[in-house]
Amino acid sequence: MATEQELSDFLKSVEKRAFKRSLYHVRNEESALDIVQDSMLKLAEHYGDKPAAELPMLYQRILSNCTLDWFRRQKTRNALFSSMSDFEGPGEDGMDFDLLEAYSGPDDGERAESAEDLTRRAQIFHGIEAEIAELPPRQREAFLMRYWEEMDVAETAAAMGCSEGSVKTHCFRAIQTLSKALKSKGIEP
Amino acid sequence: MNTVDTPSAQAQAAAERFAMRVTARLSSGTADLPYDISERLRASRMQALAKRKKAPAPVRLATPVVVQGGASAALGRSGKEPGGWWSALVSAIPLTALVVGLVVINIAQDESSANDLAEVDAALLTDDLPPAAYSDPGFVQFLKTSASPN
Repeated sequence: MATEQELSDFLKSVEKRAFKRSLYHVRNEESALDIVQDSMLKLAEHYGDKPAAELPMLYQRILSNCTLDWFRRQKTRNALFSSMSDFEGPGEDGMDFDLLEAYSGPDDGERAESAEDLTRRAQIFHGIEAEIAELPPRQREAFLMRYWEEMDVAETAAAMGCSEGSVKTHCFRAIQTLSKALKSKGIEP
Repeated sequence: MNTVDTPSAQAQAAAERFAMRVTARLSSGTADLPYDISERLRASRMQALAKRKKAPAPVRLATPVVVQGGASAALGRSGKEPGGWWSALVSAIPLTALVVGLVVINIAQDESSANDLAEVDAALLTDDLPPAAYSDPGFVQFLKTSASPN
């Protein structure tokens, strides 16, 4: 059984990536935070007594389900209040803001890196993020679980509820798309 | 129809390296999230930990033992626990008390009815009027006639 410290460490280790993954899906910071909060609560409430080794798989599954639930709720809400969707999606400004923060943040401390390098790095990061956000959802999910969460093919397949062959195909297609898109933008990761 | 060519081992390795570079960039960019988002994530984590499910306390199971026939059949117990005899004895106390109580009540009732009869007999014997008078038809007639005017 995972101790409170183990559960805390685990959540701490995944929370930022979970937030970003949700953000790529829903493209709204508040909603992404809500999804991460929901998934953490569900993990702790229902599986807090599970061994620490089982937590990553369980959490990935819960996060995927919470994201799906969010889309279902959105669909219902949009059907009821179609005009409300006009107010969503101020994400572009947020991305600009991120860039400014990344640009001005480490500037004080790191003298070795020039402002040009920092800007370049931030540009690459946002370029990659934008292309990942453009990937089809299943490809993005497979790619991020497999390479960012460092899950193996079998684990990714179990978390996504598909075959291992599908995971490999999704990943390979995602890499091909990303590679072409980044090359066309002149971004070398 | 599957349009993706089966990647060769080299292409696969190159793809994996590319994927690793991309995710490394993502990790380095994600490490510095804005303060408000980091705080929201921290608060969510704390909230989740507060509601953490704890494992239920282990339930002590009674160890199965060979049932000794008729060990305490009167009480419907089969002596499953080590202290079976003692608990059977303790359980028998209320039953014993009930039996003893019934016996005592029975004796007390017998005694009281005997006392009542004895009192009547004593009253008859110590009265001025002899008991034989009640069997005399003339006396009975006397009592009826003296009672009727009232």
